[in-house]
Amino acid sequence: MAQTINTRVTRTDARRKVTGTATYAADVMPAGMLHGSLVCSAIAVGTVSSIDTSAAEAEPGVVAVYTHETLPDYKTVKGFYAGGPGSASFWPMEGTEIRYAGQPVAYVVAETAAAARRGADLVDVTYEEGESRIHMTPEDSFVVGAGEDSDGMVLTKGDIQAGLDAAAQSVDMTFTTPFQHHNPMEMFSATAEWRGDRLTVWMPSQSVRTLRAGIAGAYGLPETSVRVISPFVGGAFGSKAGITPYTMLTIAAAKGVGAPVRLIVTRPQMFTVATFRPESEQKFRLAADANGKLTAFEHIEIAQTSQFDNVVNPGTHYTRAMYACPNIHTEQRLSRSDTNTGGFMRAPNEMQTFWGLESAMDELAWKLQMDPVELRRVNDTKTHPTAEVPFSSRSLMESYDAVANGFGWADRGRDIGSMTDGDWLVGYGCATATYPTNILASNARVRMQATGGAYVELAAHDVGTGTYTIMAQIAAARLGLPVKAVDVVMGEADMPVAPISGGSTTAASAGSAVHDACVKIGQQVAARVSGMSDGPLSGIDASRITLDDGVLRGPEGQSQSLQEALSMLPEGEIEMIGEFRHPALTDELIAATFNGGYGTAGPVTPEFAMFAFGAEMAEVRIHKYTHEIRVPRLHGAFAAGTWLNRKTAHSQLMGGMVWGIGSALHEVTEVDQPRGRFLNANIAEYLVPVNADVREVRVQMLEERDDYVNPLGVKGIGELGIVGTAAAIGNAVYHATGQRLTSLPIRMSDLLRS
Amino acid sequence: MKNFAYSRPARLDDATDAARQENTQIIAGGTTMVDLMKIGVLAPDALVDISGLSALEGYEVGTNRMRFGALAKMSTVADDQAVIDGFPALSQSLWKAASPQLRHAATLGGNILQRTRCPYFRDTAYKQCNKRNPGSGCAALDGGVTNLHAIFGGSEACVAMYPGDLAQTLVAFDAEVTLEGPGGTRTIPFDRLHVLPAESPEIETVLEPGEIVTEIAMPVVPAMINSMYLKARDRESYAFASASAAVGVEMDGDTVRDVRIGLGGVASVPWRATAAEDSLKGGPLTEETAREAGRIAFKDAEPLEGSAYKIPLGADVVAGALLTVKSRMGDQ
Ligand SMILES: Cc1cc2nc3c(=O)[nH]c(=O)nc-3n(C[C@H](O)[C@H](O)[C@H](O)COP(=O)(O)OP(=O)(O)OC[C@H]3O[C@@H](n4cnc5c(N)ncnc54)[C@H](O)[C@@H]3O)c2cc1C
Ligand code: SF4
Repeated sequence: MAQTINTRVTRTDARRKVTGTATYAADVMPAGMLHGSLVCSAIAVGTVSSIDTSAAEAEPGVVAVYTHETLPDYKTVKGFYAGGPGSASFWPMEGTEIRYAGQPVAYVVAETAAAARRGADLVDVTYEEGESRIHMTPEDSFVVGAGEDSDGMVLTKGDIQAGLDAAAQSVDMTFTTPFQHHNPMEMFSATAEWRGDRLTVWMPSQSVRTLRAGIAGAYGLPETSVRVISPFVGGAFGSKAGITPYTMLTIAAAKGVGAPVRLIVTRPQMFTVATFRPESEQKFRLAADANGKLTAFEHIEIAQTSQFDNVVNPGTHYTRAMYACPNIHTEQRLSRSDTNTGGFMRAPNEMQTFWGLESAMDELAWKLQMDPVELRRVNDTKTHPTAEVPFSSRSLMESYDAVANGFGWADRGRDIGSMTDGDWLVGYGCATATYPTNILASNARVRMQATGGAYVELAAHDVGTGTYTIMAQIAAARLGLPVKAVDVVMGEADMPVAPISGGSTTAASAGSAVHDACVKIGQQVAARVSGMSDGPLSGIDASRITLDDGVLRGPEGQSQSLQEALSMLPEGEIEMIGEFRHPALTDELIAATFNGGYGTAGPVTPEFAMFAFGAEMAEVRIHKYTHEIRVPRLHGAFAAGTWLNRKTAHSQLMGGMVWGIGSALHEVTEVDQPRGRFLNANIAEYLVPVNADVREVRVQMLEERDDYVNPLGVKGIGELGIVGTAAAIGNAVYHATGQRLTSLPIRMSDLLRS
Repeated sequence: MKNFAYSRPARLDDATDAARQENTQIIAGGTTMVDLMKIGVLAPDALVDISGLSALEGYEVGTNRMRFGALAKMSTVADDQAVIDGFPALSQSLWKAASPQLRHAATLGGNILQRTRCPYFRDTAYKQCNKRNPGSGCAALDGGVTNLHAIFGGSEACVAMYPGDLAQTLVAFDAEVTLEGPGGTRTIPFDRLHVLPAESPEIETVLEPGEIVTEIAMPVVPAMINSMYLKARDRESYAFASASAAVGVEMDGDTVRDVRIGLGGVASVPWRATAAEDSLKGGPLTEETAREAGRIAFKDAEPLEGSAYKIPLGADVVAGALLTVKSRMGDQ
């Protein structure tokens, strides 16, 4: 049998995707379906004084125009930051209150999508406008849960001042990151169909079970009465995780008109009806002795949050895990402003904070006149600096050495501005990447037939990453089948419990449940055939029979292929439910996941700290006349336990790095402060890298073994690639120009202003 | 988008006749028009599609004159070998605009008449925008974000920037446009086509109702051969200019005989840097004189807080374009 793990396997759904036969949620059109359209608020803060729907209602094709006064049976759920499944605690259209620009204020249902959009344009809303502020004010920041601090929102170890006093060099710097929006290629959509008290919702989702539990709870229905279907997701990155108003509005509207309704959110509306990456400020004080050993490490993160939720994505929990230091102080702070509630966007805790940390480390290295790679080496640690448990595995310096080698780090000019090529100034920069290994409980069903096919089913999601393929690989490897003989079905809430596709957990957690089901198939079949009167395994103690690559083996070399053994069973097939229950998962955490919530353990357990690591190096060029900043080369080396599929894993890491180029140089949701609106809510003006911005991107995948994280030894990789990129690029800009730019994105205008 | 009437006349006089009607707009490639209709900035009752006027698709790169029909596609002209060889700035100013898909659809006539990218103009949720809604005020000037706005030619009513690339090349090389309207045909200098915003930013050109641009033409001059379009932008492709320069140089030994400088990304209308041109004529083209020309070009700029970076940027782009052209001449 060919090797199926740690190899390059083409996506099993690739053909369906490129031929347009993969059915995305919005491709489904139940009979009699009508079309929804949102009317969104023009003001940021205030109240709706009146809504004139007459013109919209008179528009041909329009079936209904709902407002806060007329939408029947509209239900809401608790927000995520209050322990619920919702993306925010404030629900628009429950009353007249406006709390952020672009919040839904009316919902039009029509016979065609065009009529619905026209109807929405004709709804005339008048407002009482209040004062708004969309940028946060760091001066007014606060610590969440101050005083109790059970979650380590403020943490002090040792004495920062003593560390600063003892230092040879120190840096005291503040970095900022802007609002950013996920902009997945697939638009947000929801299609709802009621049949009596039974509801079906088709929707691209990162967590079908959260959706179902939330919707069923809101309507007081048993979960079995609600179907949630999300077979393919065209990118999510955190934006399709929680339950948002557009979903609950569509469900209510479908009930109101008595017909299925589909809503496709427009691109500009996608900037306001769901979550985003909140803006942030990262304050660092780092100090080191003459050898570069850190003597003080202080990180205060101030992140933007809405007026009604405390969005805590605790980046300080990960920066303080990075380098050995006797004196550490970290603080997680928030500052409110008038937006919808932000949330998770690819590496929600890490992108912003490592931009700050790794830029500050670079500055410290320059001050110490030290190779920045060596500064990381001197402070590398096998023990988590504040949790004081060992890392289950940590290949940071292996990553640096691998990337430095391929990149040619040693050839860099030692002085600022020392490298040029024609009209271009050239600089090199490096930075660390890391991502926590989060752990969630999961189940999976696997059925195998004596005829050589297998079927895998679980309520996990393929958000475009290749999950269908790796689940097939995991089963194929154990059962000894070709990957294409394994059918994988996912994306429905009724399937065996699998966790949210977030926090880079699916491969590790849900994959481990598939693995466990296959192990159990082996045990079960072994038990049956060992009890039979003949056959190669007859009479052997079943507990001593193992399954590997589709072969059952006894202790003395007796063996039989699983498929052959299966054919000895009269039923000719076997089905088992696999479970992943890491020792760090408490009963409460498991129950939370089973109830549709997020029962995450890790990355720090009482025994180990679990993180993936990597290192990135960037070559940046800055044009003498146009001041354009370009990245001709970006290299990364990463170690994240077992690589399941070297092709899709490579794509994930590369995709993260490409997005990192965008974060470094392009992406920003501009803010119109006086009127409290996002200004560039479209993808012509919200710049992301185009092909021409992405030149040589090289990814090295290092081998690493970690037996603690899960039986497969897999760490999450979906977010790892983006984490170090912005700082590597910013540090290269410094090397080229001597300009230390502290706000993302770095644009030519910033080079010219400072 | 509201419903509208649509016609696609086959004859020019039918087109001008139809286009003259109340609240009627001309559509060529549609890449600006449909976009603005979709976002509710324009809501015509009728569209007159001129893409059936196939006589306007042709173009001619002659020895004395170049003529381009208004319906010639951006991509066709950009890729024409005679244009690439004889007038690189023209090819480059088309080639560096928009994306391949847009360039295949968009026409030269539509390109020169594209509308500003001022974000307040493009989002109807902003009440204040004198250009979209005369007399309503200017959100950009009222505490808004101004990094995309003009540092030349703005007024107290509007500081929107003219975003196109081609127009800078046309204005620098004395192009003319031919207009066909209900009242007949007229040919005007290209630099008279667009008008400054002054008190009425909703009026952007001298086009009369029903008038159609039929042709863009210019005399062939030696400076075309040694010309280039240098465009500074935050990403490598598919972005409007933060600053750009269309330049062409004709040398007589070590002396500049003719020089052309058009500025993009910085002004409310296509902008020619005449004073900078004059500073170079009759003297040498060196790093020093090129940089001085760049400084002169931006001497009278009136930046806003967000657009101040365009002054040093624009000056460097002008200098860079001049010096690049010069060094390429040396290679020949
Ligand atoms: C995302 C995006 C990025 C872009 N980037 C760039 C860029 O970097 N640089 C750049 O230069 N441009 C850029 N553009 C603009 C693009 O080049 C223009 O939209 C295009 O050139 C317009 O040509 P069209 O034929 O499609 O015009 P249309 O959209 O059909 O018309 C544009 C305007 O001109 C009028 N019109 C058209 N033809 C005539 C005529 N013959 N006579 C009278 N009036 C006429 C129309 O009434 C309308 O007002 C970009 C556009 C988009 C959407
Ligand atoms: S600059 Fe001009 S286009 Fe922009 S908001 Fe002001 S008036 Fe409108």
